[in-house]
Amino acid sequence: MMNLQIKKLYKSFDDIILFKDFDIDFSEHTISCILGPSGCGKTTLLNMISNTTQPDSGNFMGFNDKIISYIFQEPRLLPWKTVLENISFVLDDSLSKKEKDSIALKYSQLVELEKFNNYYPSKLSGGMKQRVAIARAFSYPSDIILMDEPLKALDLRLKMNLIKAFRRLWQMDKRTVIFVTHDIDEALLLGNDIYIFSKAPVEIKRKFVITEKERSLHAPSFLKLKNEIWEQMD
Amino acid sequence: MNIKLTKNKLITTLSVVLLIGIWKLVSLSYGSELILPPPESTLVATLKLFIAENFISTVGLTILRGLIGFAVSFILGIGLGILAGGNRSFHAFLKPILVTLRSTPVISFILLALIWFRVDMVPIFIAFLTMFPFICTNVIDGIKNVDRDLVEMANIYRVPHHKIIQKVYLPAIVPFIFSGASSAMGFGWRAIIIGEVLSQPQFGIGTAMQTAQTYLLVNEVIAWTIIAIMISSFFEMLLRRVERKIVVWR
Repeated sequence: MMNLQIKKLYKSFDDIILFKDFDIDFSEHTISCILGPSGCGKTTLLNMISNTTQPDSGNFMGFNDKIISYIFQEPRLLPWKTVLENISFVLDDSLSKKEKDSIALKYSQLVELEKFNNYYPSKLSGGMKQRVAIARAFSYPSDIILMDEPLKALDLRLKMNLIKAFRRLWQMDKRTVIFVTHDIDEALLLGNDIYIFSKAPVEIKRKFVITEKERSLHAPSFLKLKNEIWEQMD
Repeated sequence: MNIKLTKNKLITTLSVVLLIGIWKLVSLSYGSELILPPPESTLVATLKLFIAENFISTVGLTILRGLIGFAVSFILGIGLGILAGGNRSFHAFLKPILVTLRSTPVISFILLALIWFRVDMVPIFIAFLTMFPFICTNVIDGIKNVDRDLVEMANIYRVPHHKIIQKVYLPAIVPFIFSGASSAMGFGWRAIIIGEVLSQPQFGIGTAMQTAQTYLLVNEVIAWTIIAIMISSFFEMLLRRVERKIVVWR
């Protein structure tokens, strides 16, 4: 399996050095979670991968021809477009309207929003809006999905709901996911690989690999893992 | 919600009643139709205007001038506003012009226009100069207020540039266009009537008011004022309705 590699990454903002001679590998078709303290540069890393921020220097290998979906902290839906229209907004215009509609319809069903297809975002709850954002990310034919703490603003029950929805989509269509969070539970429930970042300048303190398919925060093996991760975090 | 609404309506009615009451009292204390006619005789004067022979041309031409001025302001305001919102240099170029237009007293425009233009053109020119800066400024503000996060999202998803303009920028400025149009209309109608008073076109509310004032027909001056207010509120209401039809996503 080809890996995505970042080598010798340098990036600073003003006086703060975020990345200094930093290397990281991501496995493809895997959910990689990045856990780290806030302000350590996790979001900046995603933005450099998505090309919205330029690194000072560094090699990004395997990223060049990759198409990227992004699930942001906020849903970032167009307020003047309905659920379906928001999903099909990102789809290529070479597809016919009918094709786009049927793709949008399929993904709104997968995130269980089919009853709200024609609702505007202002009529949806925070969790529903984030589900639209997830549907949009999956409907877009991307190779990599970047996620920047998309569950941050939601309560625990909604979080679990969205994680379930996300895993269901991912099981059908195993894209490369890079998921940034500071919540250990989210990482344990979603991640295959978990990277623990230090404070800036970032170093990878440790990498954990979870192979279990069934995830339960109450299972002894997960509690043990959670403790180990906890000890690594600042 | 419903109780609150009726309560507010009650307070609004009370305010109108109070205003008319004060008017009645003041007119009683003067006791002269020549200084301040009572509300009821003004009402009669207003109703009489509706059946006066040139009513349609008087009101119609004032409205027509307003609409022409508005249409020109609307098209130029949105066009130049979009250009200025998207291009810093053009904004820097346009800014002093807009500031000058907004801070120049309306009467200066009128006095100059009287020298420069045909009588019929003066009110239209005035309408344009007062309305254009409102619409243009609002469009520029609208573009500046477009959510950068949405634009960034669209860029990451490689949405083509023209589609971003059409589907992200344009809908975002629609509410700003409406609020600009609404302030423009508010000032515009007043400016047109002043323009008419001073330029004296053959028909126009301003012309009619000036004539009434010359003959000391105070009730008729007030009656035309009431009609001017009605026109202004009618268009304000129309704008709100159209806005509700277009801005359905709120």
